Amino acid sequence: MSLFGSLDISASALSAERLRMDVTAENLANAQSTRSANGGPYRRKEVVLQSTGGGSGFAGALAAARGGGAGGAARGSGPDGGVQVSGIVEDQTPNRLVYDPGHPDANAQGYVSMPNVNPVTEMVDLISASRSYEANVTAMQTTKQMFTKTLDILR
Amino acid sequence: MDLFDTTQLGLERAIAGAAQRQSALASNIANANTPNFKPRDVDFHSALQAAFASGKRETVATTTFAESTQNDVMRADGGGVDVDAESAKMAQNGLEYQALVQVARARLDMLESAMGTK
Repeated sequence: MSLFGSLDISASALSAERLRMDVTAENLANAQSTRSANGGPYRRKEVVLQSTGGGSGFAGALAAARGGGAGGAARGSGPDGGVQVSGIVEDQTPNRLVYDPGHPDANAQGYVSMPNVNPVTEMVDLISASRSYEANVTAMQTTKQMFTKTLDILR
Repeated sequence: MDLFDTTQLGLERAIAGAAQRQSALASNIANANTPNFKPRDVDFHSALQAAFASGKRETVATTTFAESTQNDVMRADGGGVDVDAESAKMAQNGLEYQALVQVARARLDMLESAMGTK
């Protein structure tokens, strides 16, 4: 795998982490939404990350058949060794019940089912996504410096 | 007598090894939040050392580097990536790569001087 491969890997992580941030923002924004498209209160969403390639699949098999995993075999869904979002799932923890008889969505006992969003968890996720994003930007910068250095040979 | 000696060929392989290691480390950092991910590394130093120990020019010129997988678990979700350690390794690998390129470049310059083309 070439240095361009390293850049692709870091780039895949940048989009994945950005999506995590988007989903966290959505959760925070809907922390008080008692109505959603599927009825009931909003449910917290969570991103599921998955590493891509790793020698399996068509691209990996082709590279192996051609001898040596290196080489520029066709890229499949993502760079070998990168990361991808395999899905966005709903958190299945029960909703919070808040006593508010005046609320239009209150049940017969006066309780309102609020979304299962905990702002503290969301803030921690936000920091985690943001720091991971930074780590990948730094990795890209290192790769870029290595690239520039290689081009110096031709000077 | 060949134009490029074993050291020069070894330097080229080392540059390739450092590039491969960079990919592996980038992949580790990219998958820092992936559950059950096992970090990988490329130990190109020992592979090259073994090739040099054989004393054969062809062996050095055709050295390939295998990726190893580490099974340590760092997090409750089964992820094995220590972002701090991986970042440190990457900084080290980046500098090493630059040093290798610098030395390869210096040796090519010497060759050019000897040829009288500079």
